[in-house]
Amino acid sequence: MQADVQPLTAEQVGAHTHHAVPRAPQPYTNPYLAGFGLGLVLLASFVIMGRGLGASGAFSSLVAFGADAVAPEHTRANAFYAEYLGDHTRHPLMDWLVFEVVGVFAGGFLSGILAGRVRMGIERGPSTTNRMRLMYAFAGGGLMGIGAKFARGCTSGQAMTGGALLNVGSWAFMMCVFAGAYAVAYFVRRQWQ
Amino acid sequence: MNAPFFKFGLFGDNVSLIVAFLIGIGFGFFLERAGFGSARKLTAQFYLTDLTVFKVMFTAIITAMLGLFYLGWMGLVDLSLVYLTPTHLVPQIVGGFLLGAGFVVGGYCPGTACVAASTGKMDALINLLGIILGIVVFGELFPWVEGFYYATPMGQVTLPQLLNLSYGLVVFLVALMAIGAFAGATWVEKRMAARKGGQPS
Amino acid sequence: MKLSLARLTATQKSGLAVALLGLVAAFAGSPYRGPVYTVDAQELARVVETTVDHVTAEDVADWIIQGRTDFRLIDLRTEGEFAEYHIPGAERVPLTALAGYGLQKNETIVIYSDGGIHSAQAWFLLTTQGYKGATMLFGGLEAWKDNVLFPRPAENPTPAQSVQFAKMKEVSKFFGGTPQMDSTAAVTAPSFTMPKLETPQGGAAARGTSPVKKKKEGC
Repeated sequence: MQADVQPLTAEQVGAHTHHAVPRAPQPYTNPYLAGFGLGLVLLASFVIMGRGLGASGAFSSLVAFGADAVAPEHTRANAFYAEYLGDHTRHPLMDWLVFEVVGVFAGGFLSGILAGRVRMGIERGPSTTNRMRLMYAFAGGGLMGIGAKFARGCTSGQAMTGGALLNVGSWAFMMCVFAGAYAVAYFVRRQWQ
Repeated sequence: MNAPFFKFGLFGDNVSLIVAFLIGIGFGFFLERAGFGSARKLTAQFYLTDLTVFKVMFTAIITAMLGLFYLGWMGLVDLSLVYLTPTHLVPQIVGGFLLGAGFVVGGYCPGTACVAASTGKMDALINLLGIILGIVVFGELFPWVEGFYYATPMGQVTLPQLLNLSYGLVVFLVALMAIGAFAGATWVEKRMAARKGGQPS
Repeated sequence: MKLSLARLTATQKSGLAVALLGLVAAFAGSPYRGPVYTVDAQELARVVETTVDHVTAEDVADWIIQGRTDFRLIDLRTEGEFAEYHIPGAERVPLTALAGYGLQKNETIVIYSDGGIHSAQAWFLLTTQGYKGATMLFGGLEAWKDNVLFPRPAENPTPAQSVQFAKMKEVSKFFGGTPQMDSTAAVTAPSFTMPKLETPQGGAAARGTSPVKKKKEGC
């Protein structure tokens, strides 16, 4: 602060204070309003594409692409990977869900930067360590990866999309997601305490 | 209007990828707006202190469900052309439990992990690596779990077909249920806040 | 009852609106009405005139060799004829069952029968129902036999025609056909022996289990 002896223009002052005092993150949008916006995006996807949103499918394409690069014979003999590789007339990553998920990253970043919520760090409770929190995050991710594949989708592709389409499997899945999470919540509460 | 536009050939595969990117931006934007870039906020759902996840998810479902119903009813969207994932009941139930457990352990679900990672959360990035590893494990074990994966097929089936009720009636019941659950969720949040002496965790 | 709308919060008003929309939906009827298709006779005539409603046998042969799965091949002939021979990968669908067969409105659908009349009828049926990708195999199965299975060289071939014939000989062998060496004999030749239906085995079922699949639409 004291190093600044030269007179500053208004613009420089603005830039300076911006760095010295990080803008406080704005509060989150009202859940019903955010949900309404999300619902309109989902509806737009139905109307324009005839399909809903997704997330886990993009990672399956990524995995299938990676496996194909490492061991093509092995990968092509596997019916699960084959479904994400397609008929080889198109690159496996030239995929609708892959591009949609790239958009999710961009949209999340856009919203975060506008609201002053982009911040590098690890989110955890005070009584746990970073190491512990990352281990939980990794293990949870692994469980979700397997679960999403058995369910043919995740909270986006099944619960939300299929929920709006009144898909029987999606509703059964959604109930079980909540049931599974509530059943395990107690045992991992330390992360946030 | 002939919708879904893509299925009526209004644009091709390459344009559909641009559409995918734009729709993804909207999706990510509203997820972050809702606060889903934060694992603490997401998992608070399962400790009943903040039921935002439930509210946002069901508002989105109700919005898209009602919108699609009326667009279909007016003949603007051919509802039979909107892709419905075939139901395989038992693997989907098991998958749901696994994903739910993974959600509360890891702090994110796959879509929200993307949003959190894009706003700088390292735990979300690790969570995404976990998801990728999970898919690799599933893929490598696929020849052994294939039988279970395809078990209990029910085809492309909707709740109105299963319950033998009209589509509109199920839409009404789901909407009523959601409104009731929203009121209940707000009441739970107040109770939990009161129990903690007005201090949100 | 003195329930004033003004005293409700925005959230409560939205909830009320959702309940009302739901209530109306309960009595509104089916949402599966779909768009109404209007047939533009002029446009149809133009499409027929410019033959963009056709695909040649050579093109279809190329697609099959490339292993493309982004098209459906529909055989309109009888079950007996289909069992005897069909183009690899074809699905037999009678004209009457076409509408309910589960074809997608945005996918390429190649229709064929022996000649052109049946496929023209099927093409018209599909086109007027909004199947944008419906197309006919030019000349039907006859053209497939003449140009793909049993191609014969032109009488006084130009270099380009010779190159084309050399390629078609390979294509013909891929499909189990026999290229004809004589450019004139074919007119009077006895019936050709049709290739056996072994590899590649056709039919929708065989396609479904083949390792090369079309990408799925869900997660």
